[in-house]
Amino acid sequence: MKKQSIHILVLFLFTALFSVASHADEIELNYRLKWLFNTSVAGDIYADAKGYFKEAGLKVTVKEGSPEKNAINELELGHSDFGVASADQVIRALDKGAKIMVLAQLFQVNPMQWIYRTDQPQIKTLDDLRGRNIGITFGGNDETVMNTLFAKAGITSKEVKITGVRFDFTPFFKREVDVWPVYFNSQGVILKDKLEKEGERVYFFNPADFGVNFVANSVITSEKVWKNRPEVVKKFMDALLKGWEAAMDPSNEADVLMEVKKQDKESNDELRRLQLIATRELIKPSADVKIGTMDVEAWKQTEAIMLNEKQIKKPVRVETILKH
Amino acid sequence: MLFRRIYQFLIVYSIGLISLLLIKAGLSLSDYVIPGFELILETLAQVFDTYFLDVMNTMSVTVLGQCVSIALAFGVGIAGRRSSWMGSFIKVTAYNIQAYPIVALAPIIFILLGDGFMSRLLIASMICYFPLLLSVLGIMATPVEDIEHFYIITGRMRWQLEVKIRAFENLSKLTTVISGSATLAMAGTIVAEFIAANAGIGYSIRVALYQSDLAKILIALFLIGIIISIYQGCLETLGEQIKTRWSVSKGGNSR
Repeated sequence: MKKQSIHILVLFLFTALFSVASHADEIELNYRLKWLFNTSVAGDIYADAKGYFKEAGLKVTVKEGSPEKNAINELELGHSDFGVASADQVIRALDKGAKIMVLAQLFQVNPMQWIYRTDQPQIKTLDDLRGRNIGITFGGNDETVMNTLFAKAGITSKEVKITGVRFDFTPFFKREVDVWPVYFNSQGVILKDKLEKEGERVYFFNPADFGVNFVANSVITSEKVWKNRPEVVKKFMDALLKGWEAAMDPSNEADVLMEVKKQDKESNDELRRLQLIATRELIKPSADVKIGTMDVEAWKQTEAIMLNEKQIKKPVRVETILKH
Repeated sequence: MLFRRIYQFLIVYSIGLISLLLIKAGLSLSDYVIPGFELILETLAQVFDTYFLDVMNTMSVTVLGQCVSIALAFGVGIAGRRSSWMGSFIKVTAYNIQAYPIVALAPIIFILLGDGFMSRLLIASMICYFPLLLSVLGIMATPVEDIEHFYIITGRMRWQLEVKIRAFENLSKLTTVISGSATLAMAGTIVAEFIAANAGIGYSIRVALYQSDLAKILIALFLIGIIISIYQGCLETLGEQIKTRWSVSKGGNSR
């Protein structure tokens, strides 16, 4: 009995040592997303699930984000090595002296759009916004974008009704608000689906169609990591973008959906499929677009908008930190 | 009492702020993560008026919410003080309702009542109510035998008299609990505003959080702290005055 216990103990120690040795060469990294696990982060999930990080010799912990879990803060505090942040977060951080680098622009088209019913006149020009009851998340980047659109069209606050909105869609369902801000590839899909089940059809109002290109989520790291660990940055980005390319390939759809489902149990299968299709349109709008491409002009425009809206005090020359 | 509350808060706030600034300096953090003192002052000048009005808005709901919760707690506490079946039923119901976290119920409240005044008031009252209820139930369910015995044997005991005796004999405990519950009512209102309202300082904190603006959040915390300290100080002073008057009317020493 005693001999058997010793054997078990030796076996256990051997397994533990082997396990440590096999991971010893792997570089451990933390990657903080901007939001919860869902189809919007399919590429991040897929790169991890399919072992692309492991192949590159990296052991990456992909962590969910939220308004309270800000990737830029974590980079500075050393809790994360890479993260995802929206352009407005990046520009605000630069304005306040943060040292960060943008490594890839994930969304080529900003998912932040507005939804409205087709029984209302279609918004063909910005003037068509006049007289509408428009939902805005006060403090969110949709407020900045909408203010820019108003300024562009010369629309004053008296010509529209602005309603502050939150996660609850009831005011939109009850038609108390006409035009509701959504993330096109997540809430947009859910709302469209719900309304279509009720026999209602919807339009999406995309600010980019009216010349306002506000950049959305990008992959970032600290200046320190970028300068001191260039080989790690390269390995991480190669593996991540490989994951995103594979995740956005329609031939991998079933596999991608299965991996997303393991992390996101909230949506149903059909919604996840529709969300993946919508995400594909935003990440890779056409076959020739390489995932991660920086739209430098859009970044400059985002900075100009924020400067104009007095969200930053001085120009930050954001183009100087775009490193892809 | 009032001034002690204020300077105690100022000491705590200053320690917190200095600690943050030391962490900032120690780790060489940017103003984005922890704002510098200069930026905090600059932000204070920008948002003081708006945030002060927001805090007063929140405070108005807090005071009302606290009154509602005091009324509720006394109502349930008095009704549930007896060891009868009905008393026990009321107590169990009150406990079970409170078993649900208010934050989880809040979205339902907002869907039903919208994001206006009523939702904030209800959530503030609910968060403030339970600790009050526990104290009121404890006080109301414990007989003051020395005094009550006389009224019982002379057949003059009525429920109103019983409640009066128990309340006045425990006046010190009650005033402490009521003044303490002010912070809970304030916290409840702020939680409500943070989750889904469109007004008040909780809502402003949420907006600042969207913009990762810690300077605004620090200013909001300062104003919340100072206003709640004044309010609590006033409640405690009021409680002291009531106790003194009661003591004098009983013919005792005022101190």
